[in-house]
Amino acid sequence: MIKKIQRSTWIYLAVAFLLVLLPFFKDERWFLFLMIQVFTFGIFAMSYDLLLGYTGIISFGHAMFFGIGAYSVGIILDRMEASYTSLLIGILVAALLGGLVSFIAGILTLKLKNHFYAMLTLALASMFLFIAEKWRSVTHGSDGFTFRLPELPGPLEDHRNITIYMFCLVMMVLIFFGLRRLTESPLGKILVAIRENEGRVESLGFRIMPYKVIISVISGVVASFAGVLYAISIRFVGTNVFAIDVTLDALLMTIIGGVGTLVGPIIGAGIIEFAHHYLSSLADVHWIFERWIILFGIVYILAVIFFPAGIVGTIKAKLHKRKHRKIEAKQQNADKMAS
Amino acid sequence: MELIINLAINGIAMGMLYFLIACGLTLIFGLMDVLNFSHGALFAWGAYVGIWAFDVTESFVIGLIAAILAGLILGLLTELIIIKPVYGNHIQQILITLGFMLVLAELLKVVFGPDIMAASRPGYLDGSWSFGDVTVIKYRAFIILIGLLIFIGIMLVLKFTKVGLIVRAGVMNKEMVQALGINIRLVFIGVFMVGSALAALGGALFVPNSGVAYAEMGMEFGIYAFIVVIIGGMGSVPGSLVAALLVGLSGSFMGYYYSDLSMVVTMILMFIILIFRPQGLFQVSGVSNK
Repeated sequence: MIKKIQRSTWIYLAVAFLLVLLPFFKDERWFLFLMIQVFTFGIFAMSYDLLLGYTGIISFGHAMFFGIGAYSVGIILDRMEASYTSLLIGILVAALLGGLVSFIAGILTLKLKNHFYAMLTLALASMFLFIAEKWRSVTHGSDGFTFRLPELPGPLEDHRNITIYMFCLVMMVLIFFGLRRLTESPLGKILVAIRENEGRVESLGFRIMPYKVIISVISGVVASFAGVLYAISIRFVGTNVFAIDVTLDALLMTIIGGVGTLVGPIIGAGIIEFAHHYLSSLADVHWIFERWIILFGIVYILAVIFFPAGIVGTIKAKLHKRKHRKIEAKQQNADKMAS
Repeated sequence: MELIINLAINGIAMGMLYFLIACGLTLIFGLMDVLNFSHGALFAWGAYVGIWAFDVTESFVIGLIAAILAGLILGLLTELIIIKPVYGNHIQQILITLGFMLVLAELLKVVFGPDIMAASRPGYLDGSWSFGDVTVIKYRAFIILIGLLIFIGIMLVLKFTKVGLIVRAGVMNKEMVQALGINIRLVFIGVFMVGSALAALGGALFVPNSGVAYAEMGMEFGIYAFIVVIIGGMGSVPGSLVAALLVGLSGSFMGYYYSDLSMVVTMILMFIILIFRPQGLFQVSGVSNK
């Protein structure tokens, strides 16, 4: 078992290393920007996977954490001087606010049925969108606002895009290994057990609520950090970060990539971001591509019905089956020999 | 005083519209444990179809009937295409209905164009009555009347007909109803269609009041309907009426004094209910929220 984990770790590290090398071969602005989007949304989708995939909690307002992160860092850098201190304060405020909101949503509804958390987060997200639009003196309403980042030291400033690319990539890799450690810990096992059968976990003497609230808070904090990275990478914050489209993106990435796998959502983020990019360039060909939310919505519905395990989940199931068959074949051979 | 009465009438009229969306939602949930996140989209569809049919035929009544028909058809399609394939899996059900909501809202733009659609009132419902100092806008009184009639109608059907009996029994214990040889699926499809039609009717009734229809209104009203259902108690029709009036009135009064806070006040109302009475104001036996 340990050997197996190590092998997959090597694979992930190798892929990460290739991604580090990538901008030295292909450094067009649009491509770097797209990859940064993949990394930030990869983090965002992983935080979603913690809820949906590992614990079986459905959130329809995940965009609100993303938006909280983006607005926190944006407003603080806008109001205070563009220094590293204010950037750090922005990140801390984002994490605190994200954690606080998910804590409140969690203690209010996680003791009830799934539906309640989904409804409450949907309603809360629309309230945050509403506040961002109306509280013009702070958020600049639906126009959004740009802000300045602190100067990077020396040569890094000349290659700002590559620096941000590396920073987001490193963050994604760190968060990925951190969350994988979390899901493989005893806490993670309990979460999966809760997803599979809540009643049984309870009868084993565990209190379910604290676990669910903890994971909801962790997911909220990670999601708002993804929002921070997003805001930093485009140096602009607008109300679109609170839109339902962002939540739909997280859902699509998680489900298409594979729920409960952590690496799946990252792959999903890659697929969806590149699909966004190429679909929007197809808008000249036919108007239906401008309405990409229809396409994504239909893909999403079909994926939920026919492809619920996602890419990584399906591959894992296939591998598992093959391994099983091998073992069975071995056993049959052994049986034959014995007889 | 005049102001207070006007705000109250406005709030009650809005409450009736919330009720029309929420009662279908709450019955569907009570009966089958399905929370239909695409329910709000039917409100928007009803609004658009209502305006369109009113424009074409120049009869407001036909507009309303067209909206109801659209609701019935879309409800049937939702049940057969979206809900049925993922029967018995709650997580998939919740996930899929949200996707359908977004698709339905976008389809509206494809069918009727992406622009805001203007709506008008029929001549005989335009204008207002005045009683001394108080002026009552005719159309709002009309919405209240329709809402009340529908509430009374639903309660009568639930209490005094065989179908109503089956629905009430199904809410309490659907396995038992099935064991008695009743095809609960047919009943469920029926309730789903009627609930969707009521939401569509609500949309068609709403737009002449506001003057405009837009695709995102489905999501907005859908969220209000969820709040109403949480406050009123899952599965309870009288609960959703009381909660809808509460939400409508608080929104109307708050909207007059601090228009930016009207949504926040509704949220606070929901928080209070979730903290102190998570089962909602009216609890229905057989429907659990745990």
